[in-house]
Amino acid sequence: MKIKDKKTTPAPPGTLKAVGSILLACALVICGQQTADATEVNGNSETILRMREGVLGGDLFPLYEYLNLSVSDTAGPGAISLEIGGWGRVDLGDRSFDHRTEGDIQYGYLSYRSNRNNFTLNAGRQWVVEGVGTERLDGLYLRSDLMAGFTAAAYVGTPAVTQPNFDGGDLIYGGRLAHSMPKYYSVGVSALRTEVNGDGIREEEGIDLWLHPMAMVDVTGRSTYNSLTRGWMEHAYTASFTPMESLRLSASLQNVHYDDYFYQVTTSALSLTNGLILPGEEMWNAGGSIGYSATKNIGLSAEYNHYEYDLAGGADYYGVAGNFSTATGLAAGASFHRMDGSTDRLRYNQYRAWVTQKFGPADLTLDFFDVDFDGSINGRENTFSLAGAAGYDFSRNLRVAADIDYIRSADFDNELRGLVRVSYAFGFGKEGR
Amino acid sequence: MKKTAYVMMMGVMLTFLYACANTNSVARVHPEEVKGLPRCAECHTDQWTALSHQTQDFYLKHKIYAAQQRDVCNTCHKESFCVRCHAHKEEIKPSDKYKDRPELSLPHRGDYLSRHRVEGRINPASCLKCHGRQNNERCKTCHK
Repeated sequence: MKIKDKKTTPAPPGTLKAVGSILLACALVICGQQTADATEVNGNSETILRMREGVLGGDLFPLYEYLNLSVSDTAGPGAISLEIGGWGRVDLGDRSFDHRTEGDIQYGYLSYRSNRNNFTLNAGRQWVVEGVGTERLDGLYLRSDLMAGFTAAAYVGTPAVTQPNFDGGDLIYGGRLAHSMPKYYSVGVSALRTEVNGDGIREEEGIDLWLHPMAMVDVTGRSTYNSLTRGWMEHAYTASFTPMESLRLSASLQNVHYDDYFYQVTTSALSLTNGLILPGEEMWNAGGSIGYSATKNIGLSAEYNHYEYDLAGGADYYGVAGNFSTATGLAAGASFHRMDGSTDRLRYNQYRAWVTQKFGPADLTLDFFDVDFDGSINGRENTFSLAGAAGYDFSRNLRVAADIDYIRSADFDNELRGLVRVSYAFGFGKEGR
Repeated sequence: MKKTAYVMMMGVMLTFLYACANTNSVARVHPEEVKGLPRCAECHTDQWTALSHQTQDFYLKHKIYAAQQRDVCNTCHKESFCVRCHAHKEEIKPSDKYKDRPELSLPHRGDYLSRHRVEGRINPASCLKCHGRQNNERCKTCHK
């Protein structure tokens, strides 16, 4: 588990300091507000101790702290909020990774949201999801409703990528323009560009849509085009039909051109040069599913997916699942899935069964997950994990949970893992989870 | 000079379009507390019925809903909820972190290390959004 050349995107000089200073200043301003009724502070802490074996022997005891904080003020004609979340780790036993300590700021941004026009302005590290853009960046994001049903969004910043193998860029910008009729459709066109020293390494454009022509029909999808390779990266569409509340039929179609889709990644695991992602490959995936709620407490579903390739052999993936719950705090589920690839190495049966029972503030869970490979992986054809978990809610805000997981995998004969999690929610206000 | 004029015109036009929009923002917080996986159709008869979390294809479709109007997701979910799965850098699988929540559609349950060799070959495109440019440092352990 060694990572020797860990790199993350270097921010332009002074950027992080500037953003940090702004966030800190604004946090102090917000925290200093005397408008008690309009100020909300919410956060949660998760302290996690893991216990597991290392690949090279030795026991590992990494201790994690996940902390999320949200401070908002809604006194004005909108809401100003500060959102920060991240984690840190220290190894209490043997070193589990290259560094005894590790951590990450997952997000940290200042946000203004108006009460009118869905106007939003975010500054800092954030996860932007706008059409073809699903990007984490250190920068600015702006979104607003415009007249006549139009909506516009734009973002600019430094890509917050991890780049163990390839450069992820030093500048990213993009936007989306959409038109909606709230009850019937929303169609957007979007684009993004990523640069390294002024040269474009990603240029993507696309359309995304949601169609709701009648109450029982719901269609979603998107098509994405790569301007640098001049080819369509992906078409992915799903249509759902709900003739009655208890029955839902769904059909999906996906088409991916590997040369265009995997054009610029930062890890060799998904690059076109690793020998695993076949250059020139094209994939079609057509599938469907049926979901049926026999009662409010019983759900059944079945799914089927067919994969077709230009170069490799095809595959089928299908399965069934069911779950039920009772008013007495019992819930259970079971599923079976079959992956039917073109060779034994790409075929397996997957079984899962789980049950959980509440006893007032306490709960117990058992979860069994078994995979039967047609061919062997490292000399093993069957792998499984059996987990037992217990939790106790000391109050609405404090929960302690622990689990033991016994695993027989392709890498370990008999692996025993443990985890203890203390979750604490704090603050005042009624913001979301 | 031309560029400046274009930028100024664009600014004026956007300001006009914004001023004329006159829509109410989506509520910051859902007015009713929702517990468990919501069935939006229980109360809604409008477009939000599509967001019922209990349907078998919601997990597949939620990316489009989020990419079109994330404000709606934010009425119930804070950023901290999304990063449980959509992480920048993470060392614990969500399904390992929340073993006490077996009903959730958390990715990579069980011994996924063995299974990822198969699923990575069948549909590697499904890996890219989460591991193509972030949350991928561990990949280098084997994928040099």
